[in-house]
Amino acid sequence: MDSKKQKSGYFSDIFPFGVAPFIIFVLTVISFLWLAIHPVARKKSSLSLWTFADLHYKAYKKLLPSFEESHPGTKLDLQIVHISAVTSRLRSALWAGIDVPDMVEVEISVAGSFFCGPIEDIGLRDLSPWLKSSGLYDRMVETRFAPYTNRGKIFGLPHDVHPVMLAYRRDIFEKQGIDLSQVKTWDEFVEIGKRVTIPGERYMIQFSQSNRAHIEVLLFQRGGGYFDKDGNVILDNDLAVETMKWYIPLVTGTERIGNDIGGGVVFTKSLEDGYILSFLCPDWMTKSVETDVPRVAGKMALMPLPSFESGGRHTSTMGGTMLGITENCKNIELAREFVEVIYLNRDDLADRFRETNIIPPLREAWDHAVFSEKRPYWSDQPIGKLYIDLADDVPPQYTSPYVGIAKAKLGEALSSCHAYYSKNGENGFDDFVRKRLKKAADDIRRIQRRNPF
Amino acid sequence: MNAISFRFYRLQRKAAPYAFISPFIILFCVFGLYPLVKSLLLSFYITSGPRSRVFVGWENFAFLFSDPDFHTAVKNTTIFALCSVFLQLPLSLGLAILLNNKLIKARNFFRFSFFSPHLFGQVFVAVLFGIIFAPQFGLLNRTLHFFIPGIPADTKWLVNPRLVMPSIILTSLWMYVGFNMIYFLAALQAVDKDLYDAAHVDGANAFQRFLHVTLPSIKPVAVFVMILSTIGSFQLFELPYVLLNQSPGPSNAGLTIVMYLYLKGFEAGDLGYASTIGWTLALGVFFVALAQVRFTRMWKREA
Repeated sequence: MDSKKQKSGYFSDIFPFGVAPFIIFVLTVISFLWLAIHPVARKKSSLSLWTFADLHYKAYKKLLPSFEESHPGTKLDLQIVHISAVTSRLRSALWAGIDVPDMVEVEISVAGSFFCGPIEDIGLRDLSPWLKSSGLYDRMVETRFAPYTNRGKIFGLPHDVHPVMLAYRRDIFEKQGIDLSQVKTWDEFVEIGKRVTIPGERYMIQFSQSNRAHIEVLLFQRGGGYFDKDGNVILDNDLAVETMKWYIPLVTGTERIGNDIGGGVVFTKSLEDGYILSFLCPDWMTKSVETDVPRVAGKMALMPLPSFESGGRHTSTMGGTMLGITENCKNIELAREFVEVIYLNRDDLADRFRETNIIPPLREAWDHAVFSEKRPYWSDQPIGKLYIDLADDVPPQYTSPYVGIAKAKLGEALSSCHAYYSKNGENGFDDFVRKRLKKAADDIRRIQRRNPF
Repeated sequence: MNAISFRFYRLQRKAAPYAFISPFIILFCVFGLYPLVKSLLLSFYITSGPRSRVFVGWENFAFLFSDPDFHTAVKNTTIFALCSVFLQLPLSLGLAILLNNKLIKARNFFRFSFFSPHLFGQVFVAVLFGIIFAPQFGLLNRTLHFFIPGIPADTKWLVNPRLVMPSIILTSLWMYVGFNMIYFLAALQAVDKDLYDAAHVDGANAFQRFLHVTLPSIKPVAVFVMILSTIGSFQLFELPYVLLNQSPGPSNAGLTIVMYLYLKGFEAGDLGYASTIGWTLALGVFFVALAQVRFTRMWKREA
């Protein structure tokens, strides 16, 4: 007992705070030493690529072994990063200069946000010298470079074209004795919509009263948008006003033919139940629909968008991805060679179409047999060819660092116009729409003016 | 003990406390103090990432106070904070009183049931309520339409700008009422029973006992919960961000101050303006909390 006390007294002389703090202290020291001796291993790769799309990831992963085999000593690091995270993670990496990938796929709606600030600080390489000297620029759909171009420099290679068609429940329309594929203009479409829509039970088309995604597609179809080629805001021009005035009555009140009850499982159910009869459908969406709504296989069909006027454009665009090469990339030649494989190889692009339904922007790939294959899900339509026929007519989407704000402002204007029309109908509507879109555009201009770079 | 070991012992006695608090001090300086000072400096710049910046003095603050989106964010956040204080806390207190009553059977089961939503985390709850609020097929719409056929089944809780904030508040009520109830329950259990007996003898009815015994006794906890709820409400971010599909919702109806800070700093890349928002928020919360403390002191004096 005495010897125990003596020992304890001796211990408290050295470390007077007790046994427990001593153990914590020792553990802390051991942990620090362990981490110091075993730092987290850095990935050693010749080239790294981040993508946000699972379908892209799977398609590229298949190509890695053959690429690595044909380039001895090369190790590729392919990472999938969630679409919401890729922007913030890439931005943080570029800002900090740590863990910046050599190549990265960026979604079209956020690409513009990287072009803020001095051009030398963008962090992505200007691809235009390479694209022009290799002739690649002329081999691809030119309008698809627009969203990735800033101050005359091209920072991204387009992954896709994403023309928009109209997908519809062929079986339900046929039961009604309607051949929707014969419809050529939106006016004809709306007439049919008024006949088939049953409020609360069935709607002609998925059009949202508050989400700007659909009206944006229609704006692009008419040649409008958020910004012109020089980055000036055009959200309040006559085209935008006319489009808003045309759109709002279609999603408002008991006479409406459009409704939107959401995406995901809700969309699946609404399509299965015939609650929504048609929707704007870019090529990438056909794959999601095939996967998520298998019960309507063989009952769906695609047709070009009705035009706003006779002879007008029958398509628009929704979504997109660019591939950028960062300033961090040390082996540019290797990066370009990998780009050749994943973006420019005809057979690989055909395989990619099989897996994703996404048509490539590279024209020389379009005559591949895969694009003419009939798809049972889409009533045996050759969906690849249908989209390719529209690809060269896809409108340009000019962008700006303020595109995110512009999209939010269009959404706000849409909601306000909807609320006004619900309450007042046509009374003073024209004036309200003009003022509301002017306000939205002025808000963006006000923020634009603050940019000192 | 010789002289050297005695000196070593004294040195150790003196140095040990500093050695123990040094990890905190170092970490606080690196991850707390430095970012605070840096963000204060940044708030006087327009930036594009950390490398490109232009000094603009007070312009960020001037722009902020005339920024309609910031006004919307402040309005939304204030509405949420007011609902937290005037709706959530009374509900929490009510539940606590109910579950403190010995006549209620399976009290522990109910206590855990009401508390458990807090265990899931805001992101999970937001995803869950995203499905519950779904138009046409969502649980809430189906139930409401079943009992009140006048309410359309395709009510767009997260799409209609007027319904967005009520939806966020409803979700947060489900999540936090039970959590705050625990604080009140602990406070109620600590109230001296003799005070109730004395009040009873004096002829006080149940409401009078609540007003003159319960409330003054739990006041320190109530003030603590109120300040914590207010600060938490002003920091609202994940719940609406996930519930509204990583956006501020239609017409910015779900935009909160912290969400606006995030969008400006990490999506638009203007860290300077985001710092301005952050400091304005910090000052705002400080003054609101100060006002709450002053108010409750005044209440104490009057009592």
